Amino acid sequence: MPAPGGGHGGVSREEVVGFRAGDPDSVRAVYGAYGRLVYAVAHRTLGSRELAEEATQQTFVKAWQAASSFDPERELGPWLATIARRTAIDLHRREARRPVAELSDAVLNDQVVVDMPPGVDRAYDVWAVREAIDALPDDERTVVQLQHLHDLTQSEVAERLGIPIGTVKSRSYRAHRTLAARLQHLRDVVE
Amino acid sequence: MTTDDDRIAYLAGETSGERLDEPERAELDEVRSLLADPSTWAEPPADLEASVVAAVGEAARPLASRPTPRRTRRPALGLVGVAAAVVALVVLVGPGGEPTNLEAVLVGTELAPGAEGQAVLTKTDAGWRIELDATGLPRLDDGRFYQAWLKPDDGEAVPIGTFNEPDGVVLWAGVSPKEYPTLTVTAESASDGTAASGDRVLGGPVTEP
Repeated sequence: MPAPGGGHGGVSREEVVGFRAGDPDSVRAVYGAYGRLVYAVAHRTLGSRELAEEATQQTFVKAWQAASSFDPERELGPWLATIARRTAIDLHRREARRPVAELSDAVLNDQVVVDMPPGVDRAYDVWAVREAIDALPDDERTVVQLQHLHDLTQSEVAERLGIPIGTVKSRSYRAHRTLAARLQHLRDVVE
Repeated sequence: MTTDDDRIAYLAGETSGERLDEPERAELDEVRSLLADPSTWAEPPADLEASVVAAVGEAARPLASRPTPRRTRRPALGLVGVAAAVVALVVLVGPGGEPTNLEAVLVGTELAPGAEGQAVLTKTDAGWRIELDATGLPRLDDGRFYQAWLKPDDGEAVPIGTFNEPDGVVLWAGVSPKEYPTLTVTAESASDGTAASGDRVLGGPVTEP
């Protein structure tokens, strides 16, 4: 689960209350704070941009519909992450259209009725990593993206960005130091 | 003893992690794999925000003023999902005072705990038209299917139709939901004949507010 980070990720309590009322500006504020994270979870689970868009939209609608039961004093992120994960699972099942062999023989919590998409087990980790990445300064995030997503060496990053390799090294070090600290809870979960 | 710098260097891909023990390397490998995953970096399209705001706004409109739900990808109304068996209803009343438009929220049973859905019931001259949408129920084929029922408080349930998957299903009832106020969905098998299996997968009450 996403680690508690305090507050609502930049969303004020008033905006959370406004979101519950369906206020458009509040919805924009909540989407602005969490839309990318929800989309990343959906994309990881569904592997499709189109389905991830639909899942993201449904997640916010479901969140609004369930918002009356949400305590504004709680963390909004983990609650949204749970809804996002569940919504992606539902969409996956709809798209997969796989028959269940013996529904009448299923018992409570029997896995035969649970059809889980392959990427769903890391949905919360994706949320946490994306949240950590988004919190990096732009220049550090760019270096991290080039190093990991594009698999460039530091020399290649320096050449791509047109900056000294020493600058790349320092940005990389600061970024990864921050990521290692922020993602400590992932390591605790793995253990 | 490994230091934070050893972990940072390995996380950044600068070392092979020889100074780390296996559990530490495995933990950091998890993070590295996610950093390399395109999904982690996926950006939603710029117009998705507007779609989300519009969808929430549509959901927030009074039910009586909403058009009949359509299954479109964007903007999509989304299904009414609730944590508890809460019923959301709107009743439009016809000239004679009898309700002509009802909705029901459906929740999964122990056989399908992840299922949820909604139904819109509309009175017509031909009977009650019931539009059903649900998620969390896999498609049934090869002689297996779903069957929907309206059930009174006391008495036998009345079948209102069969289908293979609960996606944009239209059912018809010749009885009034006011007298048969519980809508259920069961999983059935053609080999069992006409007798109901009793395997309820989805259900919810239909009542006036």
